[in-house]
Amino acid sequence: MNGAGTYLATRDLAKRFGGIVATEQVSLDIAEGELRCIIGPNGAGKSTLFALLCGIHRPDSGRIFIKEQDVTSLPSFRRVRLGVGLTFQTNRAFHDLNVRQNLEVPMGATGSATHSRSARSEDRYRYALSVFGLDGLRETPARELPHHQLQWLEIAMVLSGGPDILLLDEPTAGMSPEETTQTARVLQHLNDDGLTIVVVEHDIAFVRQVAQRVTVLHQGSVFAEGSIDEITAHDDVRRIYLGQA
Amino acid sequence: MEDLSVVVSILYQFGTNGAFLLLCALGLIVILGMMNIINLAHGELMMMGAYTASLAYQAGFPFPIAVVISFFVVGVFGAVLERLVVRRFYGRELGALVVTWGISLLLSQGTFLVLGPFLPSIPIPGGAIDVGQYSLSVYWLILIAVSAGAVLGLAWLYNRTEFGLHARATMQNAEMARALGVNTDRVYMLTFSLGAGLAGFSGALLAPTASIMPFMGQQFVAPAFITVVVGGASNVIAGAVGSSVLLSLVRTPVGFYLGAFLGLVALLLAALVIIRLMPNGVSAYFQRWSDRRSRPTV
Amino acid sequence: MKRLFRLATGPEDIGRSPGFWGAFAVLILYLFASPLWLGEFEAYNISFYLLNLPLALGLCLLWGYCGVLSFGQVAYFGIAGYVYGIIAGNLVGTGWGPIAGELGGLAACVVVSAVFGYFVFYARVQAWIVPILTLVLTLLLETFLGQTAGYQWRVGNVQLGGYNGMTGIPSFQVGNLVFYGYAFYYFVLVAVVLCYFACRMVVNSHFGKVMLAIREDPLRAELLGYDIRARQLGVFVLASVLAGISGLFYVQWGNYITPSQVGLVSAALPVIWVAVGGRTSLLAVAISTYALNWVNYSLSSAGNQYALVIIGALLVIVMLFFPRGIVVMLAEAGFRGSLARLRAALRLG
Repeated sequence: MNGAGTYLATRDLAKRFGGIVATEQVSLDIAEGELRCIIGPNGAGKSTLFALLCGIHRPDSGRIFIKEQDVTSLPSFRRVRLGVGLTFQTNRAFHDLNVRQNLEVPMGATGSATHSRSARSEDRYRYALSVFGLDGLRETPARELPHHQLQWLEIAMVLSGGPDILLLDEPTAGMSPEETTQTARVLQHLNDDGLTIVVVEHDIAFVRQVAQRVTVLHQGSVFAEGSIDEITAHDDVRRIYLGQA
Repeated sequence: MEDLSVVVSILYQFGTNGAFLLLCALGLIVILGMMNIINLAHGELMMMGAYTASLAYQAGFPFPIAVVISFFVVGVFGAVLERLVVRRFYGRELGALVVTWGISLLLSQGTFLVLGPFLPSIPIPGGAIDVGQYSLSVYWLILIAVSAGAVLGLAWLYNRTEFGLHARATMQNAEMARALGVNTDRVYMLTFSLGAGLAGFSGALLAPTASIMPFMGQQFVAPAFITVVVGGASNVIAGAVGSSVLLSLVRTPVGFYLGAFLGLVALLLAALVIIRLMPNGVSAYFQRWSDRRSRPTV
Repeated sequence: MKRLFRLATGPEDIGRSPGFWGAFAVLILYLFASPLWLGEFEAYNISFYLLNLPLALGLCLLWGYCGVLSFGQVAYFGIAGYVYGIIAGNLVGTGWGPIAGELGGLAACVVVSAVFGYFVFYARVQAWIVPILTLVLTLLLETFLGQTAGYQWRVGNVQLGGYNGMTGIPSFQVGNLVFYGYAFYYFVLVAVVLCYFACRMVVNSHFGKVMLAIREDPLRAELLGYDIRARQLGVFVLASVLAGISGLFYVQWGNYITPSQVGLVSAALPVIWVAVGGRTSLLAVAISTYALNWVNYSLSSAGNQYALVIIGALLVIVMLFFPRGIVVMLAEAGFRGSLARLRAALRLG
């Protein structure tokens, strides 16, 4: 591995489904404290990359590193215990449990349950609870929450485990522009506080609000990487992605 | 000549065991594979098939006709069952398991109360042919052929007919299938009815080889479900074929040397080991293999 | 102590109000006092209804709270019973034979369920495969025990006995105190109450929340950092130990056991108790188990050829019309009813 402080890295990650190449030679380096957006048109391999990172799928070849440790063959829960928090594109908060139960479930990086969060992650968690307006809803069944708040609940739930890296798959899917902005502001704040965040996103407006660095996936490979200004100025990126967006 | 007859006899043993497993699983794989419903009343549907065949045979119908009658009688019963009970459990796997278990208890004990502890058995049709010092039952040879034919028929129905297409579409995405004009309610009913009918068909075919009793279904439950479990759900037909071959390889020698009970134990142990090694069943292996073949060479 | 109390009274079961706990305490006191006016025979019958509770509570934990359905809990009931019979039967007259038998029986449950569960859960099989394989296991066990009729099937001086079963199993005994009649009644009562509270503590602990999370969405639970395979296995072993406890009580109660205790009918019973009560509540399951055993016991004296039909019909009706369980649905309706009455009274006042 190269570069100290690299929190999440992949090397030549490849995955095929049947005859279809989903990702091919994806190499990423995400440094500690970074807020990275991974964008790309539909079918670019974003979801596959996400599934590979969290261990739902195993890559055909290539390696994945979390905090310099090779996790390619580790089961999902071991990766999470290294300090990764994940949310899904389709909301997967526990809909039949109430908000309190949802928040009490996660296990943190230390391999034990929520009450052993570090002071810093405790602050992040409290912050998320209050800005997301979940404080007063403890006994509300999750399925009665409006859509955007369910999405926020899942983020708060993951923060409850005290992660060092957040891995979010389209966290603003289905949100109104105001809710998207609010989400962006919260992520920005968490990142300022030192949390490393990787967002797989489709919504370019959201990406403009938060991203420091953007990776563009196209046809399963890394097509371009740079600041948001560089990316939006990139002719080919405009053609394949922004043109269609 | 001596060697050849040993080989034939061993093949025959494997063949009968494999055919038995396939026949047991036949109706189950339709209902599980196309509808994702686990029908624990499967053994009792087979029992109904055997009962119908026995009654029809006593009434003077030739045995092959009795088998066909069983298929239709149990198929109609399956349609009724689907209408009244099963349709409320789509998407609730465990609920479906429990309710079909209740149905199975009702059917077996109900049969006992109405028709008594046993029916006259059906003599095994066909004689035996001698190969060297071994004698092979013609009927079992027919069963091997019939089970192979039934599987081919199912594969054809599933892959080549409009009904199969609708069934697959309904199973993958019922809402979308409805939007495209498929009558999904009818597809569900027909599929369940087909599965039930096949269970009746298998029950009737196996009737001459068993005693016809209300609780005879129990003896088919373990082999049928183990075959399906080992086969896996990603391609039920190929899975059932693969697993019945694999399991027959385990069961035949163990059953031969150590008796029928340990043969059954070996089936369960083999199932546990196989699912540990191939969590998605034999069919996932086939799937990967055929994927690899279809992958473009880069 | 405070923490234990909080766990026992936590929110993951019905019945949390002071009124409820008052009624609960009265019930327990009633059960403890009832030998004062009950004959020994009635106490003996009540011990039978009670001794099935751990088996049902285990299945309730497994199915209702963890989302893992098992049709083969009676296998562990039978294993514990038979192992106890073998060990205690060979150590008659030693005074510590029954205790060795209990430990041996429960150890056998742990070993069998751990090995079986390892293969099933670490293979990450789909949810429907677990009930099938557990059912197959218990039916195989019945077949095996059924063919142990000959003289060669003996362990030490205990006959397994084939379909006639194992007879003359010693009652529980500590030193010279033999648990029989009232003593056995108290023994079972104390153990069952402890089992109930233990289960209630489990579901209210953090472990219990993870169980709920696994039931709701196994993948999400795993991606919150839990090894769901190990958790499911843990609950499975716990449930099998509870089933084993019932099995031990059963053989100490009747001093015999037959293979039909691990047969199809017996396997169906715990599923009925849990489904009728409502699988998401330990208390509801405890109530339905007691009530159904009482009904069944009274019915079976009238001839049990309808037992299977009744069980089957009950399963179908409950699954069709009371999918969350009769006791749970009644309790909720009652709660809502009393809320409505309270509101009406306030409005009038």
